This record gives sequence, C-alpha cells and structure tokens, in this order.
Amino acid sequence: MPIPTLSQSIVITLIQCLLVVVFVFVVVPLTVFAERKVLGYLQQRLGSTRVASGHVGITGWMNRGMWKWGRIPVLSYWRGIPGLVADILKLILKEDVIPAKADKFVFFIAPALSMVSAVVVFAAVSFVPGVFFTFPKWFPFVGGLPVSGGIADINVGLLWILGVASVGVYGIVLAGWASNSKYPLLGGLRSAAQMVSYEVPLAISLLAPVVLSASLNFAEMSERMAVGLPFWGLVPQVLGFLIYLTCGFAETNRLPFDMPEAENELVAGFHTEYSGMKFGFFYLAEYINMTVVAALAAGFFLGGPWLLPFGLQGLLNPYLPGFLSWFGEPHAIFFAVKIIFILFTYIWVRGTIPRYRYDQVMSVAWKYLIPMALVNLLLAALVRCFAV
Amino acid sequence: MFKNEEMEVNLGPQHPSTHGVLRVKLRLDGETITHCRPMIGYLHRGVEKICENQTFFQGQVWTDRMDYCSAVANNLGWAEANEKLFGITVPRRAQYIRTMLNEFNRLASHLIWLATHALDIGAMTVFLYAFREREDILDMNEAFCGSRLTTTAFRIGGLREDLPPGFEKLVTKFLAKFPSCLEEYENLLSENRIWKKRTVGVAKLSAEDAIALGVTGPVLRAAGVPYDIRKAFPYAAYAEMDFEVPTKTEADTYARYLVRMEEMRQSARIIQQCMDGMPEGPVMAKLPKILRAEVNEVYHATEAPKGEIGYYLVGEKGSGNPYRFHVRAPGFINLQALPKMAEGGLIADIVAAIGTLDIVLGEIDR
Amino acid sequence: MSDETLPQPSETPEAPAGPYVYDYAASPQRQIVLPKTVPLPSLVTYVAEVKAAAEADEAKWQKQQADFEVAKAKAEAEGKDAPKPPVRAVPRKDDNDLKTPWPQEAQDPDLLHLQDCLGGKVEEIFEQAGELTCQVSKESLLEALMLCRQDAELNYEMLADQTATHYPAATGFAFSVVYHLTSISRRKRLRLRILVPEGFAPESAVAVYPSANWMEREIYDMLGIRFVNHPDMTRILCPEDWEGHPLRKDYPVVGWGQRDISFREDRGGRLEMIAMQKAGQLGINLKQPKAE
Repeated sequence: MPIPTLSQSIVITLIQCLLVVVFVFVVVPLTVFAERKVLGYLQQRLGSTRVASGHVGITGWMNRGMWKWGRIPVLSYWRGIPGLVADILKLILKEDVIPAKADKFVFFIAPALSMVSAVVVFAAVSFVPGVFFTFPKWFPFVGGLPVSGGIADINVGLLWILGVASVGVYGIVLAGWASNSKYPLLGGLRSAAQMVSYEVPLAISLLAPVVLSASLNFAEMSERMAVGLPFWGLVPQVLGFLIYLTCGFAETNRLPFDMPEAENELVAGFHTEYSGMKFGFFYLAEYINMTVVAALAAGFFLGGPWLLPFGLQGLLNPYLPGFLSWFGEPHAIFFAVKIIFILFTYIWVRGTIPRYRYDQVMSVAWKYLIPMALVNLLLAALVRCFAV
Repeated sequence: MFKNEEMEVNLGPQHPSTHGVLRVKLRLDGETITHCRPMIGYLHRGVEKICENQTFFQGQVWTDRMDYCSAVANNLGWAEANEKLFGITVPRRAQYIRTMLNEFNRLASHLIWLATHALDIGAMTVFLYAFREREDILDMNEAFCGSRLTTTAFRIGGLREDLPPGFEKLVTKFLAKFPSCLEEYENLLSENRIWKKRTVGVAKLSAEDAIALGVTGPVLRAAGVPYDIRKAFPYAAYAEMDFEVPTKTEADTYARYLVRMEEMRQSARIIQQCMDGMPEGPVMAKLPKILRAEVNEVYHATEAPKGEIGYYLVGEKGSGNPYRFHVRAPGFINLQALPKMAEGGLIADIVAAIGTLDIVLGEIDR
Repeated sequence: MSDETLPQPSETPEAPAGPYVYDYAASPQRQIVLPKTVPLPSLVTYVAEVKAAAEADEAKWQKQQADFEVAKAKAEAEGKDAPKPPVRAVPRKDDNDLKTPWPQEAQDPDLLHLQDCLGGKVEEIFEQAGELTCQVSKESLLEALMLCRQDAELNYEMLADQTATHYPAATGFAFSVVYHLTSISRRKRLRLRILVPEGFAPESAVAVYPSANWMEREIYDMLGIRFVNHPDMTRILCPEDWEGHPLRKDYPVVGWGQRDISFREDRGGRLEMIAMQKAGQLGINLKQPKAE
C-alpha cells in the first residue's frame, strides 16, 4: 500500500469531510421526513403528502411531479419528499429577523456554535474499521490510496466526542441569552442546567465501554465491544445502554426531556426569536446531534458495523460461501441501519409519552441515572476482571 | 453580584397552550410562579349586547359562537331559558333528542379537552386519536342539522326537524366502538408514569375553595362535590335517565382527568338509554310566529361540559327582543380559580392548570 | 387628522360627491332608542297592573252598556229597530302552547324565612316561573348575603351568577343588580335583587362570596356600577381606556366610534390618503366622525 504524501493525505481528508457533510445533509432531512411519516403512522394519519407552496416555483413543479409519481401505489406514500427541499428553501429565503435589543454578535454566533460542534463530532466517529474504500488507480492525484472509515482515527476519540458535544450547549445558552427575551432566557437556563446534569451520567455510562474495551479510540472500542463480547456487548451493558439512550434523549432535547424548547410552555424555548437559516442551524444541529448519539449507541452497544452478534463473526467467517462473506464482515451499511433504528426509537418515543416537568427532569438525572450509571460502571469493571 | 430578581412574563395572548387568546401575567422566581393574574377580553364581541338587539330566535346563533366546542349544550341552555321565560312545554320526543345530542356534544367537548390537555403535557398522539372519534360526532351533528361545529341545533319550543333517517345506525355504530376507543386513550395515559408525574398533585383546588370561587363542572366534582345540574336540577329528559355522577376526592389534575373519562362513559350510557327509550310524537310545540315576552326574568342553568352555563333573560312586555341577556359562562367563573391553582407551582404546572380547567376563550370573553 | 393637513394627491383632486354617502353618525346601528318601559318583574307591579287592567276593562264595559242604553232609548224614540246589545269581549285565546308564568305570592319557606329574619329590609318577595326572588334594600345587601351564606336553614354556598340590568326609564333607581345563589346541599336556587340609582356604589359581595370578584368587575365594565370594598375594581373585558359602559341602554350597538377605522398611528397620513383615494373612486364620502 503506497504511503500518501502530506498533500495527498490532506486531499483525502477533505474528501472524507465532504463525505461526512454529505452524509449529514442526507441523513438529517431524511430523519425529518421520517419523523413526519413515522409520527403520522403512529397517529393514524398520512404524514406529509405534498409541498405546501402549491403550484408555483420549483416546489410547485416538484409537487406536481411527485403527485404524478404518486399514482404508482407504493410511491404514493413518498409524495411528501419534495417538502424537504421546500423546507430548506424556505429557511434559506426567509427574512432573518434580529430583535432590536439582541446582542447582535452573540445572537449571530450562537447557531453557528451549535451547528459546528454538532458536525465536528463526526470527525472521531468511525463508520467502518480500517479502509472504507480505495481510490481506483486511474484516479488523479490520489489514485490507489485508501480512504479510512473515519476522518480522524485518534486515540482519544471518545474524549473528543464528549468534549466537542458539550460545546454545543453554549450555542443554546448563548442563543437564549442573546435574544434578550424572556422565554428564550428561560429556555437557555433550562438547557444549561439540563445539559450539564445529563453530561454526567452520559459520560459515566460511556466509561463502561471504555473499561470493557480498554481503549478510547472509537474504531477499537466498537470492534472490541462487538467482537469481544457476547451479543455486541448489549447483554453485559444493557443497563448502560438504557442509561446512555435516556441521557442521549436529554442531551438532544427530545421528548420526554425537551425542556429547553418545550413548545407548550416556552413557545419555542431558546430559539423563539430566531428565524430563517439561523433557526435552520439549530434545527439541523438537533438532528445531527440525534444522529451522533445514535451513532455512539450503535457503535458501542449495538455492535457498530458488525452485523452478527454473539461473537459469531469470527466463528462463521471460514464457513461462509463467497457471496455471503459480507455477512460476517463489518460494513458501513450495517452501521447505518443501526443508526436508523435508534433514530426511529427517538420518533417512537416522541409519539408515545408525555413530557417531564423541569424539576422532574433534574431529579431523574441526579437521583436515578447517576447512581445507576455508577453501578453499571462497577458491573463493567467486574465483567472486565472476571469474564473478559 | 447575585441578585434575586423576579421576572415578569406574559403567558399569551399568543401562546401555544393558552387555548386561544388568554393572557396570564406571571411573576416568576426562577421557574416558580409567585404571582399570577389572568387577563381576558381579547375575544370580547359583545354577544350580550348584540342579543339584546335581536329577536329571541336570532339569539341562539350567537350562543354557538360562545363556546364553540360545545355549541349544542349552549343551544340547549338558551332554548330552555326561553322556554322558561315563555312557559312553553316541549314535546317529549324533542326532549329525548335534545338530551342525546347534548350528550354527544359532551363527548365531543371532553374529547377535545383530552386532546389538547394531553398535547399541552406533551403526549401528542392522544390528540389525533381523540380527534378521530370527535370527527364521527361532528358527522352526526352534520346529519342532524347540517352544520358541524356551530350547530344552532334546537329551536325555542323543540326542534326544527326530527332525526334524519338512518341516524340510529350512526349512533349504534359509534356506541359500539366508543368504549374500545376510550380504553385506547386510557392505555396511553392512565398508568403512564410521566403522565401521573405531571398530573398527580398538580393544580390542586380544594372543595371549599372551588365552591367559594364558584367553580362548577368536572373541576368541582374532582374535589369531591357531587354537584351535577343534570341530577340536582334535572332538565330536558335527564330526570328519566339512569346515570352516575363520577366524583373523586383528590382535587388534582389527575382526578379531573379520571372524572372526565368516567363522564364520557356515563354519556355513552345516557345516549344508549335515549336511543332505547325514544318516544314517538311531534318534536315542536305550537308557537306563535313571533314570540312576544311578558315582564319576566329567568335564570336557567344547565350542565355544559365545562360546568354550569346559566342564561339570565329579562323580558319586556310586548317586545320581541330580550330586554337583558346575560350568560353565566362556566369558563369565565372557572378561570377565576387559576391563580389559586397555579401560584406556587412551576411554569409547566400552569400549562397543566389551564388545560385542566378546560377553557374556551370565546365563552369567557363572549 | 383634518382635511387641511392631508396631502392631497394631484390625480384625484376632490372626492366626488358620489351617489352613496356613508355617515357614521347617522348609521342605524349608532342610533339609540331608549326603552320606554321598566320591565322589572315584580309582584306588586303585576297585581297593580292586573287590577288596573280589570278596572279599565270594567270601565269600558260600563261605557259600552251606557252607550247601548242611550242608543236604545234613541232608537226607541225614533221608532227604529233596537241596536244589537253589546257583548263583553272575552280575552282572545291563542291556539298555542304558551303558558306565560306570572308572578305569584311567595310560598317557599326560604323566602318566608328571609322575610322573617330581615324584616323591613326585604322590599319584596315573590315567585315566578318556579324561581324565587327576594328584593332587599340596597343598604342591607351584605347582611342578606351573609344570612343566605351562613344561616343553617338557608345555606346557599355558591354565588352562581351576579349581573345587573339598566333601566333608564325608571324613576328612583337606574339599575337592578341580581345575585343568583345556589345551595348545593339543598338543591335550591335563590335570586337576590337590589335596585340601585345612578352613582350609588353597592357593597361588594367578595367578602362573602369570593366568586363575585370577576362578576363585579364585569358589571363595572359593562354597566358602570362600582362596588365598595372590592379588591380590584378594574375593567375586565374592555381595555382600561375604554369610554363608556357597553351594556347600558344608552350605548349604541356599534359603540361610540372607538372601533371605527382610525388613522391615529398613521403619522405620515399615507394610509388616510390611500383610503380617501379609494373611497373617492368608489363614490363614498368617508367623513371621519368625532367620537362623542
């Protein structure tokens, strides 16, 4: 395998970044669409079936096109897809209102902070261990070079993820403060308290995989959790998984913990005063954060890119026929499927249960989740001592 | 450096969970409400003044627009107050049909309450489940009187038309499926731990306070006072119906939820009895073309889904208009209790309190 | 803004005197027709009216008979046929289900008990349409309310409704304020009534029944009766700066003009210019009325 020069590796990294950004901007709108459709299914309605803009412009054209496609029975369910494009167009074209008494600079920087911290987390997420694909020989400049499954395969990947993700809370707090309005301020205060509280059990619950896999590197951790432990590490870490998922709900401000933006109490919480693409950044950041949380859950607890549980991968591989060999190999698609499953869980929970009250959210974190996470850590340590 | 400041927040008039244009001035210490003052009047249309300048028949149209979620109950109160003013005896069949439609209306109103209350607390799926059943009731309204929401269902002295053919089938179909629908809602909510955490012990209003503040309806019954005008001062055909008045003693949001759910069951029972015992006969009393009042004043109260709705009418000799028309709107009086229920709680609790009072601003502001 | 300061557009020099001139002040909704009668239900008035009607009827009958006698004598004297003897008019019976409820003597023990306890402070007690009415003097209202609330035999726990009516044609009083009391335990309703003249401030019922709070605010807002010792005597439905009290009989249905199109916020006169232009094109003379 040729060793890339510095300029080549920079180009490859840029390509990887592009891939991640494309992934994010494909997955996030699809999650939004899925949210509409799944919620619609849960609530016995159709979900979105058209673009609201009617018959004019690009969206109207798309609307008409999709309506024609919708005559085909299966496709009729997907008629709402152009709505995603319409949504983004609307966000971009909408007037950007800045409140008169707002702190302009902070008001401007807050959504960027939120968005950047959400996207940058992906640097340390490894979609597949080792090589993702290799450029063909004829490819100019980087021909024959491998592209790894993660942008930065760093040793302290988990620390990076936790650290950068908690910068995101600044975006929300600053947005709430800079709006110079009361509901956003309340939302910002709530989110500061909530996110700081939930960082603790989240981090502790992620320490268990660290203990079990003896690494902080995302790829190594997911590999050891998936291959080295029975049933993807979900069986010894079922408590940890549930704690992590709960904290993940809270960290991403999703029901039942959507305190900072509880629309029935605080109108829209911290982003009440935001409009246009600034609001769009918060919106995107929320969904990217959801994807990140889902990626971590899939990577650490659900076996990452490995499909087969119970450590069967190594056992089965020699016996699998050639065309089924992908079955035992790690693959980014399996990873994506697991992420999608967890994203579905988000929507499922949102459609099912009511919202906690603010003080109850705090008591859940401090009274239940942190002790349970500590117990789980102890459990992991015991497993580490005696079983692995 | 660390100042302890109270913040003043306007909840409304444009706010997702104030059920219209209610404005509540809150003073907050952190998230705790220290002072709460509801401010109303944003939807004031002067219904009383307008009705005083219209004939007795025309006034009914305005009662629809007060509490638009329970238009039939408002119509019933208006029609009966006028019948009391003129001394009209309504045929028995008309009484039964009125009772039945009124109970359907109670179901519709309670369903809309359940939907919005659950949505306020964050359970968004119940919203659409409840609207699904409400849709059937609105269809029945449409079959009966042609309109779905603002019905103007009754006339002074009876009904304009008898039940349409095939109405019994609609009712039977609805009654067959309704209990299972109720179970569906209760599966989602009754034993849901978050729902209980949000509602048990929240927005308490004791029986003494409730009576002192004039609160009626499910809120009063959830405090343990079995005061239901259908039983206490029977009107329409309620004297002949067999039903129970559900009460709870906890006087909190959860108790009100349970009371209303049980009321829906009882309403279904009453509808069944109306269908079974529907007498034959005319549906309209013999009346002159133009009603001219004598000097008289009546106060007629009926049990609307939200509480006691009372119509106060003063007749002028020889006049076709009421000299004075006044509505005792249940929401208006019940909303007085909001500060008592909300002060000392959190912001999230006032949302639950507004939801559990089941207010409609059209009726409060009139 | 007056017409002089208005920047007149050059294209449309003058609003043409169109076929249709809308004058706000002359609109039928703004005309006030004050009631001429005092429809205050009362047994005393009713009895007096019935008596007067019977007397008038009797007098008419006597006159008819006397006329007949005269006519008969005249006819006899002239030798013509005797005129038909008069028939006493029987009240016309309508073929309908109306049975008007008239005021009746108080039979109910509650009313009698109230009269026993309050004595001369009770002005009138009667029953009508199955409802009990007790009219007390306006000074002893609080006493009567206290009695209704606390007396073991009465025990009216709840003030269900409180409202007032404007009687501009009455002499001696201008408003009646009614209190609808409900006894939940005894399943009874009672109407307490006071008559108050213009400017008189009755005692607030909040001390006895806290539910009177908003209802008295509403009465103040709608009819302009102030209540003494009320914790918060402010307007409730109308804005604080509203002029007039809408439910008075001398208030027009469409108001005094507060809700007419107002260009007060239109500093540059732009909106008014456009409106005048449009109205001129439509042939409407938009004359801005002054609020009375």
